[in-house]
Amino acid sequence: MFGGLRERLQSARALLSGSIEAAAAAPPSEKPDAPAASRSAAPEPQVRPPAKKTATFASKVRTFVIDRELIITEKELADALYELEMTLLESDVALPVTDAIIAHVKKDLVGKHRRIGQSVDSLVVSTLRSALLGVLGEGFDLITYIKNHERPVKILFTGVNGTGKTTTVAKVGDFLKKQGFTVVIGAGDTYRAGAIEQIEVHAERTGIKIIQHQQGADPSAVLFDAVQYAVSHKMDVILADTAGRFHTKANLMSQLEKIRRVMKPDLVVYVDEAIAGNDAVVRAAEFDRTVGADAVVLTKADMDSRGGAAISIAHTIGKPLMFLGTGQGYDDIVPFSPEAVVEELLGDA
Amino acid sequence: MDQRELLTLEHYLKQYGQQAEIFASQLELMENGRMEALAAVEALQGISDADDGTVLLQIGGGASVRVKVLEPDKVLLNIGADVIVERTNKDAVEFLKDRIIEMEASEKKVVETLDRLRTQMNEIAKRIEQGYQQTVQAERGAQAAMGDQDE
Repeated sequence: MFGGLRERLQSARALLSGSIEAAAAAPPSEKPDAPAASRSAAPEPQVRPPAKKTATFASKVRTFVIDRELIITEKELADALYELEMTLLESDVALPVTDAIIAHVKKDLVGKHRRIGQSVDSLVVSTLRSALLGVLGEGFDLITYIKNHERPVKILFTGVNGTGKTTTVAKVGDFLKKQGFTVVIGAGDTYRAGAIEQIEVHAERTGIKIIQHQQGADPSAVLFDAVQYAVSHKMDVILADTAGRFHTKANLMSQLEKIRRVMKPDLVVYVDEAIAGNDAVVRAAEFDRTVGADAVVLTKADMDSRGGAAISIAHTIGKPLMFLGTGQGYDDIVPFSPEAVVEELLGDA
Repeated sequence: MDQRELLTLEHYLKQYGQQAEIFASQLELMENGRMEALAAVEALQGISDADDGTVLLQIGGGASVRVKVLEPDKVLLNIGADVIVERTNKDAVEFLKDRIIEMEASEKKVVETLDRLRTQMNEIAKRIEQGYQQTVQAERGAQAAMGDQDE
């Protein structure tokens, strides 16, 4: 997951570290071995430690940077920051998000008197870490939400065609069932040929109750029935599947509006695929503007090497990521954890 | 195998088929993107090699015109996130080649998923076939038994 971005971030990280080390080594006036000078002025110049002369440049720089206070100028980091900016943009990280990350890194590193007190690489990694966490948001903890919410919790899944909405509904259903919740699925995609059969197979395989009508039926009616079933059977969660649609299709969007009016969902979840990159971010923003969204699920994250959508979506539309789809099996869905994504990206640090 | 089990298997097969279709169309999109990038690399190299910057520009319908590229070493490139930057010809080619490698890696993953789906589809199809044969044999057996009784 996000392998390409990870590799690029490693290079950007090395460049930032190199720039700071170079900045630290540059001013000749501040010598790292200043105490040695005062020692030489002392009346008893006895033993001179020869080890200092044999120290490598790298170790010298390292001690130098760790031990002293350092002012890093924007100019000294300009090249490294430019490379970081290119790295993020080339990975399809949206421009406002890239700007936010760069601003965070700049604010953290530039212009301050700082006693580093740690290795340069750790400093860079912790800066990148906090910059990424700043844009990734906190994620959406569905389990906690359900536990703290009046039952049944009604969740409506929306999104464009072919991004894996129906499969996501099945995966989330399976996930919630394994967490001990009772789940019913409303087969609200009555438009696409085979959609009802598809969700029926998923429901059968995962052992989840499904409420369905015939193809072509009014999806609002199906989902209303699903809500009624859940209420009368005291179930915890209703997962409402809907037909894929583009926000530009007025008739389908008004149908979605009707579903919202009838079903009164507690959560509207927008589903898109991570590999769509910036397109997914733009579409999510459009959907949020037209129908609203409370959280986002990104599918096919395992096939996405760039990671741009996952990094950008929460910051761009201001709505948290809920899950990442990572494969074909029902278990291949992970609750979105910003810390885990940052760990994946900054790896060994 | 009873009729209900056969029906379920047919549903599975259909579902896998739909998934395979989605991945196949995704693969096609990726392949188109890769071919486009390869064509761009070739064009950029052609522009760079042209002595006075004159190249043939295809305008469709098999027609081409000679055009002179004003700044053959300046390329406006969409690097991602809909951001366009100016790069030198060489840097643009390098960028596109990296992107091609990335696309090939992504394509490989999609192909692997498709292969897995196809293997599963073949297994289901085999089981359906066996089920049908069992049903046919059972029907024939029943008919033969009926015939024996008639005699």
